[in-house]
Amino acid sequence: MKRIGSVLFLILGLWYVPAVAQTQGSDKEWQEALAAAKKEGKVVVAGSPDPVMRNAVIPKFTERYGIPIEFIAGRSSQIVSRVQTERSSGIYNVDVFLAGPDTTANELYGDKLIDPLKPLLILPDVVDGSNWKDGKVWFLDPEERFVVRPFSSVASLLFINTEHVKPEELRSIKDLLNPKWRGKISTEDPTTTGAGANMAARLYNQVGEEFVKNLYIDQKPVRTRDRRQMSDWLARGTQPICLNCREDDVRPLIKDGFRILEIFELDGVPGTINGSPWLLSVANRAPHPKAAQVFANWILSKEGLGIYARGYGSATARIDIDESYLKSGNIPKRGVKYFDDTAWQWIVTGRREYREKAWKVLKVK
Amino acid sequence: MKPTAVAVPSSKFTFRLRPIRLAEFLALALLIVAMGLPLFFLLVGSFNLAPPGKAAVYGVNNWVNAFTDPGTLGALWMSFLLSVVRLIPAMILSVLVAWLIARTDMPGGRTVESFCWIAYFVPDFPLTLAWILLLDPSFGFLNTAAKGLPFIDVPLFNPYSFWGIVWVHTSTSGIWFKVMLLVPVFRRLGASLEEAARVAGANTATMLRRITLPVLAPMILAVSVLSFIRGLQSFNTELLLGTPAGIYVYSTRIYDYLQREPRAYGEATALGSVFLLVLGILLFFYWKYLSGDKKFTVVTGQGYSTLRVKLGKWRYAALGGCLLYIAVMMILPLLFLVIGSFMRRYGFFGIAAPFTLAHWQNLFSDPIFFVALKNSLIIASVTALGGILLYSVIAYLLVSRRTVTKPWLESLCWIPHVLPGILLSLGVLWLFLSTPLRTLLYGTVWGIALALILADSPVTTQAFKAGLLQLGADLEEAARVSGASWAYTYRRILLPLLAPIAAAVGLMNFGSALTSISTPVLLYSHQSRPLAILLLEYSFTGELERAAALGLLITVIIGAMMIAGRKLGLRLAGSS
Repeated sequence: MKRIGSVLFLILGLWYVPAVAQTQGSDKEWQEALAAAKKEGKVVVAGSPDPVMRNAVIPKFTERYGIPIEFIAGRSSQIVSRVQTERSSGIYNVDVFLAGPDTTANELYGDKLIDPLKPLLILPDVVDGSNWKDGKVWFLDPEERFVVRPFSSVASLLFINTEHVKPEELRSIKDLLNPKWRGKISTEDPTTTGAGANMAARLYNQVGEEFVKNLYIDQKPVRTRDRRQMSDWLARGTQPICLNCREDDVRPLIKDGFRILEIFELDGVPGTINGSPWLLSVANRAPHPKAAQVFANWILSKEGLGIYARGYGSATARIDIDESYLKSGNIPKRGVKYFDDTAWQWIVTGRREYREKAWKVLKVK
Repeated sequence: MKPTAVAVPSSKFTFRLRPIRLAEFLALALLIVAMGLPLFFLLVGSFNLAPPGKAAVYGVNNWVNAFTDPGTLGALWMSFLLSVVRLIPAMILSVLVAWLIARTDMPGGRTVESFCWIAYFVPDFPLTLAWILLLDPSFGFLNTAAKGLPFIDVPLFNPYSFWGIVWVHTSTSGIWFKVMLLVPVFRRLGASLEEAARVAGANTATMLRRITLPVLAPMILAVSVLSFIRGLQSFNTELLLGTPAGIYVYSTRIYDYLQREPRAYGEATALGSVFLLVLGILLFFYWKYLSGDKKFTVVTGQGYSTLRVKLGKWRYAALGGCLLYIAVMMILPLLFLVIGSFMRRYGFFGIAAPFTLAHWQNLFSDPIFFVALKNSLIIASVTALGGILLYSVIAYLLVSRRTVTKPWLESLCWIPHVLPGILLSLGVLWLFLSTPLRTLLYGTVWGIALALILADSPVTTQAFKAGLLQLGADLEEAARVSGASWAYTYRRILLPLLAPIAAAVGLMNFGSALTSISTPVLLYSHQSRPLAILLLEYSFTGELERAAALGLLITVIIGAMMIAGRKLGLRLAGSS
């Protein structure tokens, strides 16, 4: 018995001593990184002009570490174009990218504008695998070193205004082809790059060419390139079925009493998860590398990611962030097989291939 | 006394650089660098087939792709059609309104002019949304009101149509810009020619047709060319109203290429080259017209009177017509815009507690707002003053008989007008980054101001040029005979005479600098972000009400500047 106790003690000791040493090591490394970051004076983050970033993330980070954030906001395509032009003249301005999956995979990663992020993650709260749903930080790129996916929510398939469309009228994806809905569906313009074309690509992939033709041509959906226009039409009921409305645009409508229902899946098309709103990567030759490291660690921490997730309304890949503010439909269920709209292969080749096919149906070059 | 032989150098071998020649070559060098190089970078880039960041591979595929795109020709035709259809009535109306304001005794002319100024600077995006609220077939205010009438049971108006787009354009950009440019030159027109016509028995219509309009032709033509090309590039209204109706225009195609990932700058530049071609053709006819025997001089050293045409009983009818147009085209949508900035959700009157001050509070509590406001005021002031100084000199060179590089100067001045804003911004970005001054220019308010000064060149130069064409050469000759240098003559004679035009274009450039998005979009940094970029960010994230509040605030700033600037301009005009 005494012997068993000794063995157990030895095993515990073998586990505990390195663990404590590692934590202390990480703490020391973190403090050193923090001190160096403060010396660098600021961190430059490029991303979408998101109110959550401006109103919540920047003030909190600055308050926590005393390091100001310079936020370069804009469309991903404009930011990358600017960064590439700057770099061709030897200017390196950006430290951290919070960019969409297409830009991250095809341009930031594809054009080698980013550094490995994995070795920079040192905050115990972040590197501790038990804090993550998958048992580790979710790296998306093939090497699992460059691009972190902090979010994973079930994406809405469509929204309906239940004063005009009864939920039981839409059980299957094919119900969208009911002549009753001709001219009553709104979509972001599928003929150009964006959410509308991505949805058409997904439907082409999951339901087929004929369905895309029937839906996007025969059903005469009303197209727009302004996201606000779609949610307004949905609320007014002029187009009570919205294919590309955004959850954060619709949330205030529901709060105002509009009877809007978010539909996550229909028969014939599986539920989908995505990594919206952004993927995290750090720029190579960053002008403030330590500040970039501190920001990257903090934004993946319980505090940083929690602030963003709550403000934006997305489920995260962490296990310790309260998700009670989300609709249950938004949270991926264990054991359910979803179509992953942010899967690397789908972003890099699949989506483009099916988008081209869909465009061919829609007679767009 | 013995005569001394003095060796006099032969004048044949003396090269004396006159101030005007120096100014000409400096201006040419500046325009080649500032306008020519960005265009050159873009054109070379359009033949580069390699993805961004990769080693260049040259070929014509981008051009082939762009022009074999099945949507391109249809979109180009639609753009031409829209531009022509709205240009003709708008030009006729603009000339009429400018004439009424500047050359007749119509009461309230100054008020009408002020309304035109304010209308021009109201941001077009929220204004288009206001028209949707008024005209939408399902919920539009006017359609709903019309359905109350016993004989109407279908929607009368539909903004999502060709004519809907034409109508909304008439409201957002219709006559305002043209009237702003035309009024100063109409004012400068001395009454002596008109009086002579009257003495010869011409009535008002004949006088307008035979005297006033031909004399003012340079400016009317310049404004027409500017408006036509601007019409071809028009974008926001077509995006909001055209897409739901399946109406795609040329600028939308260019936008599509710029939104692709990776971005197709090559194809976008190839499509943009059509604007260069159109400009080339229009300029050819413009120059041909101006280079004939025609004379446009109306201000000479031999007396100058500005008596106005008496409209008699029609003066109030004219005022009524102007005010009705302003009420329908400007006040009505502007009212909806003001209301919209106080609504919890723009245009939703049926929700509980629809009105709120939250958007204005949020605007002022945004930590970026005051920094952006300061940046915008610096940028706009530098742009306005810089533009006046630079382009008044260039315009002088363009009308001077002594200038030998006129066609080059003129062509270079037009370049910014034919490049879509984002492409111009990209070209300027390349230019800034390739000069040793990049630390001073890139990412700073000075760099943005310089880019905006470049972007303003067509309008500002043409306005000054038209003004200078009205001044007689005898004014300068008299100064020179009295011993004044060219610089002194320019400063003391010409510039004061151009004061009203300077005040007008200065204010216009001030306003454009406050509202321009596409020029600073690739050039700003965190520290130099202007208000217009903040407006873009709000629109991009769907915060339409806060964008409406900011748009209105920008309009108020421009309104205040306009009142101050016009007082200054009028004082200068009076003193001259």
